[in-house]
Amino acid sequence: MNSRLIAVALAALALLPPARAADSTWVLQQSTITYHVSHPLHQSEGVSHAAKGKGVCHAGECDFLAAAPVKSFDSGDSNRDLHMLQATRGAENPMVVVRAHVPETALAASSIHADLEIQFAGQTVHYKDVPFQLSAQGNQIKLTGTIPTTLSDFKIEPPSLLTVPVKNEVPIRVDLTWQKQ
Amino acid sequence: MMMPAVLRRTTFWIPAILLVSALRSSAQTAEPVSPAAFNAIRAAFDRAVSQTPLLPELELADDDLAQGAAPPQQTQPPTKPGPPSLGDLGFPTAQTQPNPQEQARLNKRSHMLKIHQRLGLITTGPLIATVLLGGFAGGRSTSSTTRDLHAGLGSATAGLYFTTAYFSIFAPRIPGTKTRGPIKLHKALAFIHGPGMILTPVLGAMALDQKDKGEKVHGIASAHGAVAVVTAAAYGLAILSVSVRF
Repeated sequence: MNSRLIAVALAALALLPPARAADSTWVLQQSTITYHVSHPLHQSEGVSHAAKGKGVCHAGECDFLAAAPVKSFDSGDSNRDLHMLQATRGAENPMVVVRAHVPETALAASSIHADLEIQFAGQTVHYKDVPFQLSAQGNQIKLTGTIPTTLSDFKIEPPSLLTVPVKNEVPIRVDLTWQKQ
Repeated sequence: MMMPAVLRRTTFWIPAILLVSALRSSAQTAEPVSPAAFNAIRAAFDRAVSQTPLLPELELADDDLAQGAAPPQQTQPPTKPGPPSLGDLGFPTAQTQPNPQEQARLNKRSHMLKIHQRLGLITTGPLIATVLLGGFAGGRSTSSTTRDLHAGLGSATAGLYFTTAYFSIFAPRIPGTKTRGPIKLHKALAFIHGPGMILTPVLGAMALDQKDKGEKVHGIASAHGAVAVVTAAAYGLAILSVSVRF
């Protein structure tokens, strides 16, 4: 009889919430990713709102993944977009993929320094301590920041206009809204 | 304090702990424990709480474990959820797969348009020289040498121009691309400087013929200078349209 009671008690214990933070899943709700290209004659920007993303938190650690089709970047100039697609080998490597691993506690802070792994143009490049601002609203977190990417990091030959190449620095501004599931 | 006999058995505690941890893990990960693992733990638990154990030889006291005896059950620890992958994001397969044919088409297109751009810039030199020299090629006091030089430069300009146009016209088109931005103006201006670049030498040849006959340039040939200026202006604007942001 006692053993039956113990079994019932153990089953009840199993139904209690766990002591540490529960696993959580995040989904990218809204995104604006903008690259900025500088040329002596003019500046240009390409914007994508087509990114998708997912984050999984387990045992206090979170893995985030966000990706966008290279084709989805729109600079307002179809000729430039096609040339960007060619220069970045975007048909052979159609996705730009960003991975980040952060402690779950960092999601509650107002800023974060994240280590990023970016797959783009057939190359994988790591960026350390990239600063981002975080703002929480209910079950959502808005993340903004700029990734200091360069063309040479991804072995991209700088496109030129009137024989003058664009600057090597092509910073990517991100504005992502993550929704906790 | 006296404990029930069942509580002193290792075969009770180990399956009990495994059962609880499996259920807690399942609750955290929202993923069910595999039926095989669950059944194995549950069977061991049932055996432990049973008053008539099926395998009494497995009923080890705690002291037995301390002496290095093997535990009665081997189970997998709860699996940690893996990091998300690209496949989790729901992009259509066609969007994530490499397309070498399209890359080859893009490469050819960019290569041809780079030549188009360079030749277009080179063409600007003789074009400006031809227009400037045109100011001295007409009228009664001009020499035939100036006119010949003007005609020669004009011919070179036309040759370079049509070679430049070839690399634009025959650059591969990328299906599904809608023309947007300054390139629209660049292309539209081609409808002015293109016919102009055909018409200007024809009118120039007519004017030269009339001049050689000792006639005053008349008729449509008298529009040679005006057509040339409009053509050169449209050409210059076409270059600026893709170079400078207005």
